[in-house]
Amino acid sequence: MTDQANQSRRNFLYVAAGGLGAVAAGGLVVPFIGSMLPAADTLAASKTEFDVATVEAGQLVTIQWQGKPVFVVNRTAELLKQVDGHDEMLKDKDSRAIEAVSAEWMKTPEQRKYRAIKPEYLVVVASCTHLGCIPLFKPSPTRQEWGDSVPENWPGGWHCPCHGSLYDISARVINGSPAPHNLHLMPYKYKTDTTVVIG
Amino acid sequence: MIEQMMKTKLFAWIDRRTGAEAIIKSQLTEYPAPKNLNYMWNFGSLALLMLVLQIVTGIFLVMYYKPSAEATFGGFTVAFDSVERIMRDINFGWLIRYMHAVGASMFFFVVYLHMGRGMYYGSFKEPRELLWIIGVVILLIMQGAAFFGYLLPWGQMSFWGATVITNLFGAIPVLGDFITQLLVGGFAIGDPTLNRFFSLHYLFPLLLVAIVGGHVHALHVVHSNNPEGIDLHKPEEMIPFHPYYTIKDAFGVAFFLTIYAYIVFFNPQFAGYFIEVDNYVPANNLSTPAHIAPVWYLTPWYTILRSFESKLIGVLAMGGSLAILFVLPFLCKSAVRSARFRPVYKIMVIMFFVDVIILGYCGHSAPTPVLKIVGQISTAYYFLFFVALPFLPKFEKTKPVPEGI
Repeated sequence: MTDQANQSRRNFLYVAAGGLGAVAAGGLVVPFIGSMLPAADTLAASKTEFDVATVEAGQLVTIQWQGKPVFVVNRTAELLKQVDGHDEMLKDKDSRAIEAVSAEWMKTPEQRKYRAIKPEYLVVVASCTHLGCIPLFKPSPTRQEWGDSVPENWPGGWHCPCHGSLYDISARVINGSPAPHNLHLMPYKYKTDTTVVIG
Repeated sequence: MIEQMMKTKLFAWIDRRTGAEAIIKSQLTEYPAPKNLNYMWNFGSLALLMLVLQIVTGIFLVMYYKPSAEATFGGFTVAFDSVERIMRDINFGWLIRYMHAVGASMFFFVVYLHMGRGMYYGSFKEPRELLWIIGVVILLIMQGAAFFGYLLPWGQMSFWGATVITNLFGAIPVLGDFITQLLVGGFAIGDPTLNRFFSLHYLFPLLLVAIVGGHVHALHVVHSNNPEGIDLHKPEEMIPFHPYYTIKDAFGVAFFLTIYAYIVFFNPQFAGYFIEVDNYVPANNLSTPAHIAPVWYLTPWYTILRSFESKLIGVLAMGGSLAILFVLPFLCKSAVRSARFRPVYKIMVIMFFVDVIILGYCGHSAPTPVLKIVGQISTAYYFLFFVALPFLPKFEKTKPVPEGI
């Protein structure tokens, strides 16, 4: 019986059967890995509405969008002045490094500097681009109020407690920070004069 | 006792069907162990003890723990409340949870000493390379299990620790975001994350059991190293594992359990080293604690991560610092195993141990400019140690090795 068997035919069948089995096993990975990706209800585009008029002058409010924290800052004229004068300290002063730090409406150098549709209201994702902690708001310049947690020529902005990343008052990352990018922007628009729709 | 048991009819019945007698003899009563093993050789059995204790206490905790980040009327979450219920209302829940939480730290403590023993006496060298490599796999799985477990109480440290570590994977080029999504299951750490971490926290210890089996099997093929680091051939240099080392291990267990029990009963949080104080604050996704640090047993690697300004390089260095352990047996080329006869290696390896402790201290402390530099120097030495090993035999004058023991 074995003598008469066609060995090459038999080998072909082994490889074909084994190969199909491997393909089937590989295919089975798709649903299992797929099940670990965000579920449909998690992904369902969630929008958050927020009335920026509720934020006092100089105040920072942290709100939630898709489970992520979002900063809304009411920047006074004084705070807006702090955006200038330290361009050489910034890794990416015009927010061009990656898509997530830029936005469609960013057209003029002014908008690139203030990183907000209305300069007085900054709306950014509050996760440090290093490892996702929420940076602490330290708006006043110099070390006077913050001690040596910030550098001597501190322009005012955010300081991340986890690994010491620093951002200026437009949430642009400062040289020497472990964070690679400015705080991310998310899509948002003004529905009315003071109501923003995030998402 | 074993001899008498092996003479019974019941044992004969079992033996015919399992070959139990041969296994007991070859692995226990006639398993040859060097007669000069010192107390540093106790930590293997202690690690096994901790693995069993962690699994047993874990199984009982799961009877009451609920992995859900859903908010409760009290304003906390189901998971956080269920842990507090274990602590306050479940009979002996406080004891079992403290045994588990303290147990995690003690498990790492024992395993780090076990590894240090292996490095000092050259136990990783030929023919025990694979034994060491399996051990490194065990360490990585332990670190994974500890990381998954730390999220479960759903406290502030749980939440932000998990945020930081899952974000680490995001730095991996191309695949980073995909891997982060697989781990997190959403846009940020949340209920899906908690559930999958719970699932994996249950899986990893079972993997450990299987791999520890492989570790012990590999050990029993190549046999134990000894403090002199020499190959033993003469029968008078060996003693049977049972009863000599079973009794010595039992003594070690009793001593160890005394310390363990002291910590469990009198100082379970261990000044915030074993259970971090911030973890008694329920997770809040809108506020990061002022200072976040992993539990002590992960801080050396955390310092290596923090020592680099580039996120990607930091992540690669941290991964590399663990991965380099795999190739240690091939980097260390000296024919002499034990540091007793290697004067230069002895200084280097002791400095390495101190270095890891300094790294751990830096990682546990809030970042300051001075600690950053100390951390960077320590990170440099960590890698320098491994890089220098292949060149060591070129100039190191080893002392003569004894013929026997």
